[in-house]
Amino acid sequence: MTTDRMRAVAIVAVALLLGALPWLTTSNYILGIAVSAAIFTVSAAALNLIYGYTGLLSFAQLGFWGIGGYATALTVMTFGGNFWLGLLWAGLLNAALALLIGYPTLRTGRHTFVIVTLTFALLVSLITRDWVDLTRGPLGIANLTPPSLFGFWFDTTARFYWVAWAYAMLALGFLYVLCTSRIGRTLVAIKQNEPLVRAQGISPMPYKLAAFAVSAAITGMAGGIFCFHLKVIDPLFLDFYYMQTFLIMVIVGGAGSFWGVVIAGIAMSALPEILRFSDDFRMIIYGAILLIAMLVMPGGFAGWLHERKLSRMRAALQQ
Amino acid sequence: MTVDPTYLLQLTLNGITLGLLYALIAVGLALIFGVMEIINFAHGEFLMVGAYAMSFALPALGLLYWPSVAVAIVVTMVGGLLVYEFLLVRLKPDEFERSILITLGLSIVILHVVQYVFTANPRMIDTQYGFDGVDIGAIRITWTRVIGATAALAAFGLLYLLLKHTQFGRAMRAIAQNREAALMIGIRPRVVARNAVVLATGLCGLAGAALAPIQLVQPGMGQFLIFKAFALIIIGGLGNIPGAIVAALGLGLLESWIGGFFEIAFQEGAVFVIMILVLFVKPDGLFKRGAMRVG
Repeated sequence: MTTDRMRAVAIVAVALLLGALPWLTTSNYILGIAVSAAIFTVSAAALNLIYGYTGLLSFAQLGFWGIGGYATALTVMTFGGNFWLGLLWAGLLNAALALLIGYPTLRTGRHTFVIVTLTFALLVSLITRDWVDLTRGPLGIANLTPPSLFGFWFDTTARFYWVAWAYAMLALGFLYVLCTSRIGRTLVAIKQNEPLVRAQGISPMPYKLAAFAVSAAITGMAGGIFCFHLKVIDPLFLDFYYMQTFLIMVIVGGAGSFWGVVIAGIAMSALPEILRFSDDFRMIIYGAILLIAMLVMPGGFAGWLHERKLSRMRAALQQ
Repeated sequence: MTVDPTYLLQLTLNGITLGLLYALIAVGLALIFGVMEIINFAHGEFLMVGAYAMSFALPALGLLYWPSVAVAIVVTMVGGLLVYEFLLVRLKPDEFERSILITLGLSIVILHVVQYVFTANPRMIDTQYGFDGVDIGAIRITWTRVIGATAALAAFGLLYLLLKHTQFGRAMRAIAQNREAALMIGIRPRVVARNAVVLATGLCGLAGAALAPIQLVQPGMGQFLIFKAFALIIIGGLGNIPGAIVAALGLGLLESWIGGFFEIAFQEGAVFVIMILVLFVKPDGLFKRGAMRVG
């Protein structure tokens, strides 16, 4: 077998093993962490698409996450739809919003994009708190009905894990195909040298908009699933903590590296559980990790490995 | 709809105070962007540190207002100097995203260290002026507000003189206008960038100190304001100081008027809607970089 095929087999085996987790453990604690890991990793991979591949730092992910959560919760609890319809809404609404914000913003520079997305995230959190008629304000919406499919209720953590797992596999598979396709390579080219991309007769705008919309939809649906795991949604769902988590996963893993971010996502989901500190102390550590990672290895772990490989090749050439 | 003129006047005065506060923060951001092309995410935390410094200096100095403000400004300026020398100096040109992520990490650390040490409970602070104020017709404005607004105006006056008529300020404008040309005539970007950061954090310290007696002092107070300041420097045009001031005053007034007549959600959303509209119509901000630019 070639290495490529061995790799593919290994990936499928790991994915199936992860899917079998509810048979391997009965601990709701571990399964709860596994749900978070699946959802956070997908969100980090979506951020990686827009930041790591396309080079646009988007803080709007937090807003999409929140809108996705509220859209799904409201579809089920207020508008009488089911969970799956809610997820569909979460994806469509976020993709539309991403196009609406992305178009005017991406016409100007990357700087404007960062700041506008940041302000958007804040706006969403303020609206969830202040638009009491729709979102029930700071009280939030509690006791979210668990989803069901063909009469099977995903009402325990073990059963709900399969929803999160299936979504993670679908979303990560889609992102992998996208990132390794011609579109993915075009996105990297836009990040590295936009004038060159234009000179090749490719208009960067549709690519940037598509990457932003896909990343928005995937993050929104992840948010929709996660709030049903928590069984409650309130304005704290838009806490900046989530954005920091996604960012740290992308940066520690290595922006622009698909597997780096996936591995960092799984590892960093387990980390806060191992380091059981008070909330403030955990945030201080997160902030410090972000600061130090950006100072000493801006390429993340994958970038560091890549650098090492390059320097070894250079050394081999000189001999 | 009839509008009570007293109510409208009160809203307008509140709006101006709010706008001046936004302007103090936004001007610092615009100044740093002009010189270094980076965004300081931790700017709001400097404001918070200034407010905390004020809240500790006041009791220690026998509630005297001005010496405490001076302490707050010095504390934030020293903080700005440290941040520049240890973190920002490592940034190369065109590392905008990296600057945001580094200062974001810094902002999280400062915010949560303060919250860890002083708890999240809001602090009420008292000054020598207490709750005395001036009466204009049926409206009463406390001295702390009047003085805060005056100090902000004075700071803008000083900043203008500094940028326009001193070598210190001219060097900043030179770097902002043309980095290479400034280098050629012997201006050192490192020194100028340090000055800009220290000056901007000093303005933040002033804003924090002026705000401390007016509202509650709590760890999250800076974060809430900083997002609006980000939007303001987009509306005013990135790196454009007069633009930032005009946009800040406009937003303060608008928010105050909207808040007086509509639901709070509209007040909070106004800044975002304005920003998106401005980006549609004038992508470079309302006051495009050009002859007007000072930073």
